[in-house]
Amino acid sequence: MSRLFNSIQQRLSISLIAVLILVGLVFAQMSLWLFDQGLRRYLENHLHNETELLVAALARGANNIELDQRRISAAYNRPFSGHYFAIDLDGQQWRSRSSWDFALPEPAVAGLMDELADGPQEQQLLIVRADYRRFGKNILIVVAQDYTPMLESFRRVQWMAGGLGLGALILLVLLQRYLVARALQPLEQVREQIAQLQQGQRSTLDAKVPQELQPLVQQINHLLQHTEDTLTRSRNALGNLGHALKTPLAILFSLANRQELNHHLELRESLRNQLEHMQQRISRELGRARLAGEALPGAYFDCAAELPDLVSTLAQIHGCNLSIKWSAPDNLRLPWDREDILELLGNLLDNASKWALHNVQLTITQSDNDFILTIDDDGPGIAAELREQVVARGARIDEHIQGHGLGLGIVRDIVEHCKGDFSLHDSPLGGLQVVIRLPAPKS
Amino acid sequence: MRLLIVEDNVALADELVADLQRTGYAVDWLADGRDALYQGASEPYDLILLDLGLPGKSGLDILREWRATGMNRPVLILTARDHWAERIDGLKAGADDYLTKPFHPEELQLRIQALLRRAHGQVNQPQLDVAGLQLDEAHQVVIKNGTAIELTAAEFSLLRYFMLHSGKIISKSQLNDHLYDGESERDSNVIEVHVNHLRSKLGKTAIETKRGQGYRFLGIDNP
Repeated sequence: MSRLFNSIQQRLSISLIAVLILVGLVFAQMSLWLFDQGLRRYLENHLHNETELLVAALARGANNIELDQRRISAAYNRPFSGHYFAIDLDGQQWRSRSSWDFALPEPAVAGLMDELADGPQEQQLLIVRADYRRFGKNILIVVAQDYTPMLESFRRVQWMAGGLGLGALILLVLLQRYLVARALQPLEQVREQIAQLQQGQRSTLDAKVPQELQPLVQQINHLLQHTEDTLTRSRNALGNLGHALKTPLAILFSLANRQELNHHLELRESLRNQLEHMQQRISRELGRARLAGEALPGAYFDCAAELPDLVSTLAQIHGCNLSIKWSAPDNLRLPWDREDILELLGNLLDNASKWALHNVQLTITQSDNDFILTIDDDGPGIAAELREQVVARGARIDEHIQGHGLGLGIVRDIVEHCKGDFSLHDSPLGGLQVVIRLPAPKS
Repeated sequence: MRLLIVEDNVALADELVADLQRTGYAVDWLADGRDALYQGASEPYDLILLDLGLPGKSGLDILREWRATGMNRPVLILTARDHWAERIDGLKAGADDYLTKPFHPEELQLRIQALLRRAHGQVNQPQLDVAGLQLDEAHQVVIKNGTAIELTAAEFSLLRYFMLHSGKIISKSQLNDHLYDGESERDSNVIEVHVNHLRSKLGKTAIETKRGQGYRFLGIDNP
C-alpha cells in the first residue's frame, strides 16, 4: 500500500478511535453515576424506614425507656454484618451489637450523608440520620449500611463495559478500515496507473473515476497531452529548421565540388572542412534539442515492436553479409521516448555494423533498477587506451577515431539525458562491446 | 541511365542535375509531389531521387502509393531528416536507400551506382564488372585486360547501360528512353554511331546487332 493511502487511512482511524473512546467513556461514566445516585436514593428510603422501625422498637419499660430487642432485625446483632445503628435519647444511648467496638460517625444534619464514611473492616458506609420526638424527648437515630458490595459490582460492571467497549472499538476500526479501503479504491487505482505511466506501460490515465477525482485525472491527462503536443511541435520546428539549414549546406557541398575549383584544391579543402564542421555541429545540436528525456512520463519503447524494423533497416543499409541479432526479455518496454531510444540504438548499431565483419549482437536485459543495453561486434574494436577518450565527456572523438565519432556524440547526449552511463569493453565476439546502463525512472 | 530528381529546392536541384548529367545520366527534374507521383510511375526511370518535404504531396506518401501499385523502381530518399525513427519510416515505406542532407556529391554518386548495380542483380561489387570489362564510373573509362580506354560522355552512358543489361536484347527505343531525358531530341542514328564507336574501342564482337530487335551486349569474354 502506498504512503498516501496509508496516511489517509491512519488519519481516519486515529480520529475515529479518539472520538469513540471519548464518547464511550463519558457515556459509560455518566450512566454509572446516574445509577449510583438512584441506588443511594433508594437505599436512603430503606434506611429511613429502618429508623422508623427502631423508633417503634423503643418502649417505656419498668423504670426507663428500653429498646425491645425482639423487634429489631437480626442483622443488627451479627457482628460486622454491614447493618448498624446508634440511638441517642437525651443522653441514653443504644448501639447495634453488630457494630462491635466501632463508633458510627454522627452526621451534622438529618438525611443521607453526602459522602460514604469509612466503616469497620474496610467497609464503606452509607449513613442516614433521622430525628424524632417521643416520650417528650428528642431521639437521634443514625443508621448505616455497608455499600461495598454495590461498589464492587459497579467495578465489575465497569470492567465488563470496558471489555465490551474495547471489542466494539476493534470491530468498528476494522469495519472502518474496510470501508475506507473500499472508498479509496479509485484513488489507489489512480496511484497504480500513475506508477504504470512512469514505467511506460500506459500513456494516459483512465478517465472513468469518481466525480471527486475527475478534475485531477483530467488535469493530468491534459498535461500529458499538452507535453506530447509541445514535444511534437518543437520536434517539427526543429525538423523544419534542420531542413532549412541542411539543404543550403547540401548545395554548398555541391558547389565546393564544382570543376571550377579543380585548380584551387586548398580552397576546396578548407571550404569542405568548414562545411563539415557546420554539418556536425547542426546535427549534434538539433539532435540534442530533439531529445524528449523524461519530459513525457507515459513514453515507452516497445522492444518487440521496434527492434525488428530497426534491425531490418540496418541490414538494408549495410548489406546482407551482415547478421544483426537482438535479444530482449518478452514484452519488455523501456520507459523512455521511442525516438530517443531508436536514435540511441540506431547510432550504436550503425557504428557497430560499419566496423563488424559478420556479426552484430544487441542484448537488452533488465535488473532491479537498471536496463542494460549491450552492443557487440566482431570488428577491429578500439584500443584500450583510446576508449577513455571516447567515453570522456566533451572529447572530440570524431577527430580521434574516424567513423566511431559522430554517432557516439549523440549517444552520449542521450545517455546523459537518461541519467545513465556507458562504457566500452572487449567483446566476446572479438570486436568492441558498448555497454549502456540506464537507470529506471523513480516512481 | 535515366534518373528522376524530385526536389523542391531549385538551387539544390540545379546542382544535382548538373552533377548527375556530368557523370553521364539523363536527368529529369520535378518539384511538385503530385507531378512526381504520376510521372515517376509512367516514365521508364532507372532510379528516382526523392525528397520528403515536397509541396503538393509528401515524399513518403508518394513512395507508399508507388509501392502499393506495384511500381518497383529503385528509390533513393534524399532528405534533411536524419533521425533513425524517420529513416525507419522511409525504408519501411519502400525506399531502397536513404541519404541525409547535407551529403558529399561523391557519396551520392556511389549510392546511385550501388543501387543501379543492385537493381540489375550485381550485388556487393565495388565496381561494374561484366564480361571481362570493368567500368570506372568516377573517371568514365573502361578497363579492358588491365588497360584503361578513354570514353566520350555518350559512349560512357551507352556502355554503362549495356553492361547493366548484359546478355539481354535491348531495342533502340529502349536505349532512347533510358539514355535521354524528357526534353532531348531523340535520333536513333546517333545511337548507331555511338555503338560503332564502342565496337571499335572494345572489339567488334562486344556488341551484337539483332536485326529488327536491337542490340545485345556480350563483352569480351565471349568469342
